[in-house]
Amino acid sequence: MTFQIDSGIDLAGQEVGAVNSADTVAKSDKVNRDDRKTVGEINHPDPRMTCRDVNVWYGDKHAIIDVNLDIGKNEVIAMIGPSGCGKSTFLRCLNRMNDTIDGCRVTGEMMMDGNNIYGKGMDVVLLRAQVGMVFQKPNPFPKSIFENVAYGPRIHGLAANKTDIEEIVVTSLQRAGLWDEVKDYLEEPGTGLSGGQQQRLCIARAIAVNPEVVLMDEPCSALDPIATAKIEELIDELREHYTIAIVTHSMQQAARVSQRTAYFHLGDLIEVGSTDQVFTNPKHQLTEDYITGRFG
Amino acid sequence: MSATALLFTLALLGVFSYWLGRKRSFAVVDGQAWKLHSLPSYYGFYTAIWCGVPALLITGLWLFFEDLIITHLVVGQLPADVQSLSPSRLNLVVNDIRNMVSGNIVSVDVDPTMQAAADHYIQLQDISKAALTVLVLIMVIMGGLYALRSIRKDKQARNAVERVVKVFLIASSTIAIFTTVGIVFSVLFEAIRFFETVPITSFLFGLEWSPQMAIREDQVGSSGAFGAVPLFAGTMLISFIAMVVAVPIGLMSAIYLSEYANKKVRAVAKPLLEILAGIPTVVYGFFAALTVAPFIRDTIGSTGLDVSSESALAAGLVMGIMIIPFVSSLSDDVINAVPQAMRDGSEGLGATKSETIKKVIIPAALPGIVGGILLAVSRAIGETMIVVMAAGLSANLTANPLEAVTTVTVQIVTLLVGDQEFDSPKTLAAFALGLLLFVVTLILNIIALHVVRKYREQYE
Repeated sequence: MTFQIDSGIDLAGQEVGAVNSADTVAKSDKVNRDDRKTVGEINHPDPRMTCRDVNVWYGDKHAIIDVNLDIGKNEVIAMIGPSGCGKSTFLRCLNRMNDTIDGCRVTGEMMMDGNNIYGKGMDVVLLRAQVGMVFQKPNPFPKSIFENVAYGPRIHGLAANKTDIEEIVVTSLQRAGLWDEVKDYLEEPGTGLSGGQQQRLCIARAIAVNPEVVLMDEPCSALDPIATAKIEELIDELREHYTIAIVTHSMQQAARVSQRTAYFHLGDLIEVGSTDQVFTNPKHQLTEDYITGRFG
Repeated sequence: MSATALLFTLALLGVFSYWLGRKRSFAVVDGQAWKLHSLPSYYGFYTAIWCGVPALLITGLWLFFEDLIITHLVVGQLPADVQSLSPSRLNLVVNDIRNMVSGNIVSVDVDPTMQAAADHYIQLQDISKAALTVLVLIMVIMGGLYALRSIRKDKQARNAVERVVKVFLIASSTIAIFTTVGIVFSVLFEAIRFFETVPITSFLFGLEWSPQMAIREDQVGSSGAFGAVPLFAGTMLISFIAMVVAVPIGLMSAIYLSEYANKKVRAVAKPLLEILAGIPTVVYGFFAALTVAPFIRDTIGSTGLDVSSESALAAGLVMGIMIIPFVSSLSDDVINAVPQAMRDGSEGLGATKSETIKKVIIPAALPGIVGGILLAVSRAIGETMIVVMAAGLSANLTANPLEAVTTVTVQIVTLLVGDQEFDSPKTLAAFALGLLLFVVTLILNIIALHVVRKYREQYE
């Protein structure tokens, strides 16, 4: 099977089933690699993290293929693509959360402050303090709201005394836009909050350790539209202090919150560019098919 | 027909009526089964239930009362002088008749009246059996016919069957509950008889345990002392040593197995650990008595301390090993049940594995872990064999683990082993000990349940 993108045949019309079928992944080595080269500008003038030739395997499955991408300072970069395209895998590489998965192997360079985060001397604990993560499903600990936020600062020794820790908790909750709702209930369990509040609590928990980069793996997919709107607003505000990489299934969300967008397809990074350009004028046929809703 | 043959016939008829009911349900809708209210098999079960259950109930009641009624009739036929005997003497006569019926050796010479009574007994038994067979068959046929006749298109057979199933389930749980209640009451009444001879205060607070009672008035040195304190102190001491061994080892191996070990190690190590629970306690017992106890005596004894050859330490250590799997297996399960999202959340913040375990996983799994420990404690308190062999029988009131002690369960065993008269305080003391042990375990359970519940309210 070959893709004949350049010949002008309507790919979506003829190949939709094949593109989405699982066996395409196994055969992906056979597709014309030239069609899978990244288009658009992968570099950023002021990069916070630089990824070069990143490959990821889960056992025998090649999940990420030769991905090159810069993540710029104080930008929101959105990663979009159909399910199983490797966008979450790529995101989880950025703070080595994939280490906990059996059989996961990563090659290539991911540089941050001149260090390869997969290099030998890298301390995962420090990396994760710098690169925080918010997950798809809100996962507050079964502790009080206060303890949830204080957890990170405590394990990293960021606070010398009780006053410091209280200050960190208050600031983090304020930045996460949750303070006004929970200030009188700090001793209540975090699991008792609503879904949207729980997710903002998880964001507060992540920013309490003062990270530079925050990774968000579909942070709104378990939330209702109102809670989603709040989180999106929050992401926009957080950009002032943090670099944010967000994986999302919602193209509207990507368009609303991000400055740059990266489109992944079956383990390849297909297109990177400013969000405006990717959504209004995609350069690659696969990107266009995806954002116009012809598949995915 | 004998009872077994009757039951067998009933079972066959039940299967047959199932088939009939199912067939009948097809017939009433001309084979268009989708028009029926319930699936055809429900009509089968419905018919089978109507055939079997009333007949079974009748059989049960009949067998229960048969003996009573026959005996009454036979006694009524006996000569007046025998009938006027005291109830216990009369009982003996009835026993003799029964023995003659079943062909056993009888305690008196066979006289004609007795022989006649025995013949009468056999005759009545035969009549009863025949009557039962006929009655049961009639019940089966009537029940079956009633059920078959009531099968219509809109007959709610499924609902009827579900109701019967529910009643069965209720009956089963009732049996379990009533057995428990029955055991508690029988222990309670025997214990009350014990407290009639020995005051309850001297049992609960007495510091000396020496249950030998004088059989004759002038016997020396066997006054009998029933102070339960040394026994409970011994039980607590040994259980404590066992828990000191089992809780840390069990918990840590559970953490290793669930959080650190890879799949291959886990697949081998977990069943191996659980084998510990399958070793018979008597094997642990002689391991404790023949290997561990001498080892402790030799090693600690060489430091100049006084160690008895049967020690609480030996029994406690081995018991601790025995209950490791209870702690580790249950803890492992609850730790595994903590969602992966909790681990991700903690590790995503830069917590190390051990920090995650200490601060997130263990607190989240605590109710289950406490449950596992509790099960281990009740196992330790109830354990008998190891203590009999390794800790001795002498009821010393001591906190020194190097001395011989004894436990409640061991004393219950020694009180009831061998030929005993069942109304002496010595024997009845066993029931009192059992009752007290039951109460203590119950209180422990309630306390632990409250601890767990309090914790849960805080975190959920």
